[in-house]
Amino acid sequence: MNDAPLHPVTWIAWLVAVCAVLSATRNPFHLGLALLCVSMVASARGLRRGVVPVALSITLAAAFFNLIIARVGATVLWRVPGTLPLLSGPLTLESLVYGLLTGLALAGIFTAFGAAQGAVPTRALLDLLPPAFAPLAVTLTIAVAFVPATLRHLRQVREAQLIRGHQIRGLRDWAALLIPLLIGGLDRALQLAESLAARGFPDRAGSQRAPAILIAVGLALLAGGLLVNAWQAGLIGWLLIGIGIGLVGAAVWLAGRHTPRTRYRRPRWTSADTLVTLGVLLAGAAFVFPFPLLDAAALRFSPYPQLFLPAFHPLLGILTLGLAGPGVVLLITSAET
Amino acid sequence: MITFDQVTYSYPGAANPALLDVTLALPEGCFALVIGSSGSGKSTLLRCISGLVPHFSGGILAGRVRVDQLDPVAEGPGGMSRHVGFVFQDPESQAVMERVEDEVAFGLEQAGLSHAEMRIRVEEVLDLLDLAPLRDRALETLSGGERQRVVIAAALALRPRVLVLDEPTSQLDPQSAEDVLRALVRLNEDLGLTIVLAEHRLERVLPFADLLIYLERNQPGARSGIPVELARHLPLRSPLVQIAEALDWHPTPLTIKAGLSFSRRLGLAPAAQPPVQSKKPATKPFLELQHAQAAYGNAVVLRDVSLRVHPGEIVAVLGRNGAGKSSLLKTLVGLLRLQQGKALVAGQDTAGRDIATICRQVAYLPQDPNALLFAETVREELLITLRNHKLEHRDLLPGERQPYDPDILLERLSLLAKATSYPRDLSTGERQRVALGAVTVTRPGALLLDEPTRGLDYGAKQALVQLLHGWQAEGAAIMIVTHDVEFAAAVATRAILLARGSIIADGPIGQVLGASPLFAPQTARLFPGRGWLTPGDALQILRSVGEPPAE
Repeated sequence: MNDAPLHPVTWIAWLVAVCAVLSATRNPFHLGLALLCVSMVASARGLRRGVVPVALSITLAAAFFNLIIARVGATVLWRVPGTLPLLSGPLTLESLVYGLLTGLALAGIFTAFGAAQGAVPTRALLDLLPPAFAPLAVTLTIAVAFVPATLRHLRQVREAQLIRGHQIRGLRDWAALLIPLLIGGLDRALQLAESLAARGFPDRAGSQRAPAILIAVGLALLAGGLLVNAWQAGLIGWLLIGIGIGLVGAAVWLAGRHTPRTRYRRPRWTSADTLVTLGVLLAGAAFVFPFPLLDAAALRFSPYPQLFLPAFHPLLGILTLGLAGPGVVLLITSAET
Repeated sequence: MITFDQVTYSYPGAANPALLDVTLALPEGCFALVIGSSGSGKSTLLRCISGLVPHFSGGILAGRVRVDQLDPVAEGPGGMSRHVGFVFQDPESQAVMERVEDEVAFGLEQAGLSHAEMRIRVEEVLDLLDLAPLRDRALETLSGGERQRVVIAAALALRPRVLVLDEPTSQLDPQSAEDVLRALVRLNEDLGLTIVLAEHRLERVLPFADLLIYLERNQPGARSGIPVELARHLPLRSPLVQIAEALDWHPTPLTIKAGLSFSRRLGLAPAAQPPVQSKKPATKPFLELQHAQAAYGNAVVLRDVSLRVHPGEIVAVLGRNGAGKSSLLKTLVGLLRLQQGKALVAGQDTAGRDIATICRQVAYLPQDPNALLFAETVREELLITLRNHKLEHRDLLPGERQPYDPDILLERLSLLAKATSYPRDLSTGERQRVALGAVTVTRPGALLLDEPTRGLDYGAKQALVQLLHGWQAEGAAIMIVTHDVEFAAAVATRAILLARGSIIADGPIGQVLGASPLFAPQTARLFPGRGWLTPGDALQILRSVGEPPAE
């Protein structure tokens, strides 16, 4: 039961690495290379409609706000005359460039989430939670499924009120939308709850008393440890915190054993997952940790006080290409099929 | 298999019990049809079988229910879910997963079945319900009938011995409903599954049932028996049974095939071709579409549609789910803008006009009337619409003497006695009439209704037919989108068939429905080629020519 080319964990690793790389650098060369990799993965996934305009809007908005807010930099593009608060003063090339780079980084993160969202269904992500949280995972899945139905219902209510000539002029006018929406939502929630009850959900088995006691004791020890450390950090405080965390973990494990739940779709971990995960984690680590052979200074680019062309670090560039891993696997898979 | 022993049940705070002293026995492997008017306790009876009553609803249950020796009250819905599968009216409100296969497996995952066992069961039910080709499809891309079959498959995956269905075909077109019912018959006949089904539209289900259960509102007990014996003695009768009873056909035919054997014996002269009504209406059209094309995003829903509806016409719009029927109505009031072509109301192009202005001339009742209702009282619902249109209830319509008085309309809708009631406390039929009042209080020249018979019993449908005929007599142009062919046959003067966004037939109702293998009502199937659509049509003519009752 695995029809996706990559495991959900691989996609999560990719997302984490993309966020790390794009947050760590404003060097336009390395940023550009990382963005190329993200774009390649997104296009291999098939970009959803609306991602490009939103990414573009993010970039332009970030550039505009930085231009208005950061008034430092040697290259003045234009000086807003007068003494208007926030507005008057110099607009610099440096603040525009830095805003643009920040905007591109944010747009890259947005695009990466868009690409991963299509690749990993919400349910697959929630299935990664420990068995103890299975009821929570199912509840969240149902909640997610409820969102589009609520939006459809909102549209129906809006249309129904429009045909009665309804217009929103004041606070009271919202009642025409909110009351049918709320009551309709409650009706649907009740129907769904009834349907789930008829399908045997939730079906609890076994006693949950032991995990509950362990969690209570674990949280008490954790709180005690934090208090002790707040007063005077020391071995006793850390010991209490450690035991507390251990007991909570044990409770979660124990609760999971009592949850009689199995999975129909079981994503398989393949050699492609191993390679891609290694590649993306290496790329992320290279930008976050100060490795001896990598010049961290090349990443920390700042155009202030005067714009200059930063250096490009070839080894970092090669490692950055690891972010394109999921895209390569997707392209190979689609070529094979 | 299932027994009810003197069962009385009251919902919390209800003045009268929903079930009163009901004693019933349903044998193993039966196909039981539960009928009764709205509020007669059909859904309550079904929920007693699955344990949802009283566990989910609360209230007080007296007497004894047993399902395969199990006590649903003691077991609860969770315990009963392994023995009783439950399918509700609306397939959308039951699905929780994105894809067909996942939805079918959901209950199995909750039950903690092994992966191997789950695979076997999923394959099994997908094959049983012809869903294997759809296994990877997203639920939102399926038709109504397909979605309902997925819900049935999900219920069957737990291998219950009883399948309970509460009006499962009420939102489906005739073909999709037929597909679902055929699937149920196969499960009943091939697997011996006990099926208990509640339904308003008897003509759809009666031929398949081998046990009929009739519940009457606020009356003790339940009547049950073999359909062929009981059907003609009940106040709710399908058109075929009405004709059989009037012409004294015995044993009561329940299928068209059985009915034809009686109708052929009447020795009617060969049917002449129904006269073609070619006269042109004397009035100008009130509603008009000219080469209309409309789309949601990239999905075109109407293609080159042209039509005219004149004052005094009632036009039924029929077609499969997704044929573009609702979209057609929406283009006329501006809720869906045209990509090409024109929409005209009272001769005026609707392009550029706002929806509120159009809706003063054209009342539109959407599928879910609850979306309209939010006021504290029934009368206030009507007054709000008047205020939205900046009309005072004492204003006079230009050229008329009658003011915009909500009470005159409420009287006509048989709602004056409920004028101060909270609209959502009313029955389904009454709520629909309140919504109808809220959109017609401005006295529009046209009325568009989208699936107005959904959830209505025979009595409420009859009241709606009379109401619409009253408006028709006053010169309103009326369009009704419906799957209910018997209702269309009773109310409409003309029918339009839509398929994939295009009109494929448009003409007098007798011609269009009489000739359609899919949308012909029971009377037209019983007397083919004669243009008779309702039992009233057939009996009136048969009696006038003095046809003797069959021996």
